[in-house]
Amino acid sequence: MKKMLRAAAAAAVTALALTACGGTSSTDPSNVSPTGEIKAREISWLLSRPADGAVINIMKKLAADYAKEHPGFELNLITTPDRPSYIQKLETLAAANKLPELFDTDATPFAQQLAKQGKMMDAEQLLESLGIYGNYRPGALDYQRFDDGSLYMIPFQFELEFIWYNKALLEKAGVAVPTSLDDIPAMCTTLRSAGITPIAIDGQDQWPLERYIAYQPFREAGPEFVQKLKKGEAKFSDPAGQKTVNWMAELGKAKCFQDGFSAQGYSDAQNQFTSGQAAMYNIGTWELPSLATDKLDPSVRNDIDFFTLPTTAGSVTGANEFVSPSGIGMAVNAKTYDPLVSDFLKFALAKYPAEYAATGALSPTTDVETVVPGNATPLYQKALDQANSLGSKQAMPWDTQLDPTTNGRLQQELVLLVQGNISPEQFTETMDKTIAQNAPKFFK
Amino acid sequence: MQPNRMLPNRSRTSVLVFLLPPLLLYAAAVLFPILQSLFLSFFSWNGISDMEFVGLDNYVRMFVADDIFWRAFMNALIYLAICLVLQLGGALVVASLLTSLRRGRELIKTLYLLPAVISTVAIAFLFIRIYSLEPVGLLNQLFQWVGLDHLERPWLSDVNTVLAAVSAPEGWRFTGLYMLIIYAALLAVPKELEEAAVLDGASRWTLFTKIRFPYIRPVWITTTIMATTYGLRGFDIPYLMTNGGPGQSSELLTTYMYKAAFTSTDFGYASTISVFIVVECLVAVGLILFVLKRKADS
Repeated sequence: MKKMLRAAAAAAVTALALTACGGTSSTDPSNVSPTGEIKAREISWLLSRPADGAVINIMKKLAADYAKEHPGFELNLITTPDRPSYIQKLETLAAANKLPELFDTDATPFAQQLAKQGKMMDAEQLLESLGIYGNYRPGALDYQRFDDGSLYMIPFQFELEFIWYNKALLEKAGVAVPTSLDDIPAMCTTLRSAGITPIAIDGQDQWPLERYIAYQPFREAGPEFVQKLKKGEAKFSDPAGQKTVNWMAELGKAKCFQDGFSAQGYSDAQNQFTSGQAAMYNIGTWELPSLATDKLDPSVRNDIDFFTLPTTAGSVTGANEFVSPSGIGMAVNAKTYDPLVSDFLKFALAKYPAEYAATGALSPTTDVETVVPGNATPLYQKALDQANSLGSKQAMPWDTQLDPTTNGRLQQELVLLVQGNISPEQFTETMDKTIAQNAPKFFK
Repeated sequence: MQPNRMLPNRSRTSVLVFLLPPLLLYAAAVLFPILQSLFLSFFSWNGISDMEFVGLDNYVRMFVADDIFWRAFMNALIYLAICLVLQLGGALVVASLLTSLRRGRELIKTLYLLPAVISTVAIAFLFIRIYSLEPVGLLNQLFQWVGLDHLERPWLSDVNTVLAAVSAPEGWRFTGLYMLIIYAALLAVPKELEEAAVLDGASRWTLFTKIRFPYIRPVWITTTIMATTYGLRGFDIPYLMTNGGPGQSSELLTTYMYKAAFTSTDFGYASTISVFIVVECLVAVGLILFVLKRKADS
């Protein structure tokens, strides 16, 4: 039995080894307007989005419309919503040089390597050539950019992340909405002593906890901190690093997160908040349909509100600057880019924003108005309005920034730090060592 | 040799011809990938970069510079031990009790076997709920009811309990299977032998150690090998329940290898770990054979 597992793992690696020597990209990534005849064929989009979500439904419809004018065209959508599984799939296909025409990726170090190897089309030039570059929210595009400012992915969403809270529970414990990040530990202690779980968090997926460690450095040193940290140019032992490490330890000491959070999933956390058991919940506008419509439990519906990421004393970023991701982006494979792919993107990207905004979501572009659904609570519009007053900087989720090994280790050590199993000093030492070991390979 | 006596000489070729395809298949599916892993373990390669020969660097890193590796190795051994105790020990106890039962044997057998047919994913999710503290799960609820409140804890988040907590479901799920095998073996123990021993005044314990167990030893050995190989390949339940966490508290060699390959895209290093697992398995098989041979000799 052991042998089988071993064989399977080894076979996978072997398969990669055998195929990795295959062809190289033939198209110039900046040649965004290929000339020639449009020959209809089936193209594929490897994506990591909810199977019945707005993006997929709309793109399916647009592809069907396009196929009416171009018989023989088909858009094959292959989705793997579970992100870790998706990343494995993507990396395996990239190693085998078998990426489809379109594929999803964040602006990760791995994606940057693909871009450097000329495997992805230059998205800035592509959008410029379609005449829609100016329509996009700068923040939506910035989220997709690599550190050098180059753009290789096209956003399909725009989301804002807030800290949702239950007014009644805060009132019961006699605490106010925090005005500074530094207020949160004390706030948790008070909530706990009132018998309330302060923050519900999905610990199983690890990225939600990783968001928290990004907050203090973003306020203290701006978005540049993580850009330097990941290359080993900044350290956790630096002032901004120490501040966040100690803050995370304090959050743990104050028992901010529900007991046993590390084994609880996405829906567990959300249920705790929406059933009025937890006072706070940090999530993005993609959950508006469940948090700001009549789908929300009537017993808490009027108690729910949100605040944006608090600032700190001496913060270098503003209150209107926080995590505002445009979701995983779509990259265009340079090797398979031809007049058909170009023409289809031209067709689809022009029609997409209006369709997307009609579903009640924020479009990555500013040329359309989001339609608030009929069953929405007033909170819905309030949340959408935040998009109009955003600053120019945004906090990047660290899981898209760090090299994968460092990221994995950070996620593990973070849980230990928050649970009090390791000291801030141990955490600092381990993480700085891990970055020193792994960053050079990825960012040379 | 038997085949030669049974078949005319010219058929020897045909026997070889029939043996060859499965052998080739085995070589292609098992031996070749192992060799490939061995080859890859001397390289640094992330799947899209150029392969860079690094000699023994990966091995040095694994044995000297990687704290997680040793942690995962120790965890894997503890995981194996817990699984073996639960599966073999539990199976033996239940099977022995079953033989002294007059009614309802079939029902109990079926109930015990049930977990073995439930899908791994379902078992993992089931136990996440059972171990949960907030909202309170079955295990902590039980402790509350019997007044052992101080034992309540988030079993999967506590670094001291998580390894046992992820091992238990794996042990629990196959106890019934081994119970069935051992029970069948116990039924085959000749009744006359037992009755004679009882007449001679043997206690239940003597009866078990001197008559029953020696009789079922061959079956016991088979189940031990089966349980050990299952235990060594343990991956899915720890991966699904905690993904090796918190920290590295429930990281096994298999989950660590998987992460090295498919999260860190460090295929060279992952291959190095897989080579270690191959060696580890060979050592385990060697040890079992050695112990058995010594027993048979004595």
